[in-house]
Amino acid sequence: MTILVVEGLSKSWGGNKAIDGMTFSLEKDAMALIGPNGAGKTTLLSSIAGITLPDQGRIIFDGIDITKTKIWKRVGLGLVKTFQVVRPFVSLTVRENLELFSRVHGGSDIDSVLEVMGLSQFGNKKARELSHGNLKRLEVAKALMTNPKLLLLDEPIGGLSNNEAVGVIDALSSLKKKGTKMIIVEHRLSEIFPFVDSVVVMDKGKKIFQGTTTELFDDEKVREAYMGGETNVDS
Amino acid sequence: MNYRFEGKKWSRLWISISVLIILLVISYVVNMPYFTFSLIFALILVILALSWDFSSGVTGYVNFGLPFFVGVGAFSSGYLYYTYKLPVPFLLFISFLLGITSGFLFSIPTLRVRGPFFTLLSLLLPLLGTDFILAFWTVLGLPTIGYYNLPTLSGSLDYVLLIVTAITAVISFVLYWITQTHFGLVLRGIGDDEDAIISNGLNTFPYKLVTFSLAMGIVSLGGAIYALFTSYAGVDTFGFTFLMYPMLIAILGGRGSIAGSLPAGIIIVLLSQYLSLYIGSLTLIIFSILAILLLLFFPKGLMRSIQ
Repeated sequence: MTILVVEGLSKSWGGNKAIDGMTFSLEKDAMALIGPNGAGKTTLLSSIAGITLPDQGRIIFDGIDITKTKIWKRVGLGLVKTFQVVRPFVSLTVRENLELFSRVHGGSDIDSVLEVMGLSQFGNKKARELSHGNLKRLEVAKALMTNPKLLLLDEPIGGLSNNEAVGVIDALSSLKKKGTKMIIVEHRLSEIFPFVDSVVVMDKGKKIFQGTTTELFDDEKVREAYMGGETNVDS
Repeated sequence: MNYRFEGKKWSRLWISISVLIILLVISYVVNMPYFTFSLIFALILVILALSWDFSSGVTGYVNFGLPFFVGVGAFSSGYLYYTYKLPVPFLLFISFLLGITSGFLFSIPTLRVRGPFFTLLSLLLPLLGTDFILAFWTVLGLPTIGYYNLPTLSGSLDYVLLIVTAITAVISFVLYWITQTHFGLVLRGIGDDEDAIISNGLNTFPYKLVTFSLAMGIVSLGGAIYALFTSYAGVDTFGFTFLMYPMLIAILGGRGSIAGSLPAGIIIVLLSQYLSLYIGSLTLIIFSILAILLLLFFPKGLMRSIQ
């Protein structure tokens, strides 16, 4: 069963169409949502998560129409989004950051989540004391506490060093193996492409491509709109 | 999370309660009615400060509506005593329940907005409520000027101090305990980033509603204690004093710390009473300026900023 179906989704900000009739479905386990800056990726992710309400269209999650469902209820159904700019609870410890969500959607075991995300040694540290890389891990860990069926990741390795990025990708890979589905918005394509099963490319609010990473590089539209006509990604 | 009543976190509360007990002993030893009186007044303000800190200090929803709930507690005890001649424990209990009810009604519309909008509503709605109560009292032919000769908590000032100390200690303990539970964790999370909590699946509204209802119930209890301490419940119980001092105490004690309110309250009240001997009503102005400066430069509280 397809876990997510998006049909004709549109959203305008002050007359500018951020998303323009987006239609796609999540068929496999991990999908990359890519496109140039301002393509509407974050707005689309926020609309699916319920942070932004779309002007038109439908979002079907796990067979349920959630287009007008409140954000916290969507999380209860198993759909959660991480933020591009991390939003830790700075006055709380790492463990407390996770404990907050231990009762949402059945909750997850804190120690297991800490281990999966490589944060076990920082459990009793205040979130404000963590490095940027570990804060990115914490952002994903918070989402995992809600026991999600679908994880929406907004630039999970943005701003990280190569080593830090590898750590996060490894953690996401182990989640994928455990059956968590995910949509990832990311600009560091070479690092996420080996990990995802399919790609949706957006430009000016519209979908211009959906397929596999291999097919992506043969697509003329993508090369024109996204890569300036050249393939510069190590696939 | 530490649910036991020990460890570093709990040590702060035990220190504060120890300070309270030491002051109680000093009061009995020195046997000066003025000191005992000041201490009781300080503890009443501490009760208000604890409630303000528990609701506004922890969550960051700055509530200016405190005096209204003090008035609800004071006025309702006056009315219930004059009408039904209820005994003191009943007056306290019913004031507490009325505070919870009015806090609940106040919270439903106000907690739907945030930041300065909440603060503005928290100021406007109680002003409206105060006018409504006074108008309602006039229509019913009840005394709007206030109720005099109310029964006191006890005939002996020493016993009054003992009763108020016990109530303060219980409230401190309960509120502090709540902040150490999962419920308290959510409140602290709201103080940090409410949107991040909601987007991870927690509906914060019920948490805030329960918190503010309980806190305003305690404020009304404080108002009733004040009325039954002074034997008077007048319009001035709806006044500015019952906002400025509790806020100042909570901020000085460390916003959201709960435990810090006890020593801070005693220091501020004793200092203000000492100052008022020399500068009279200017004391209130000085403390108001101090409250504004603390809010501006130490928004998380003086103690926390020093730490």
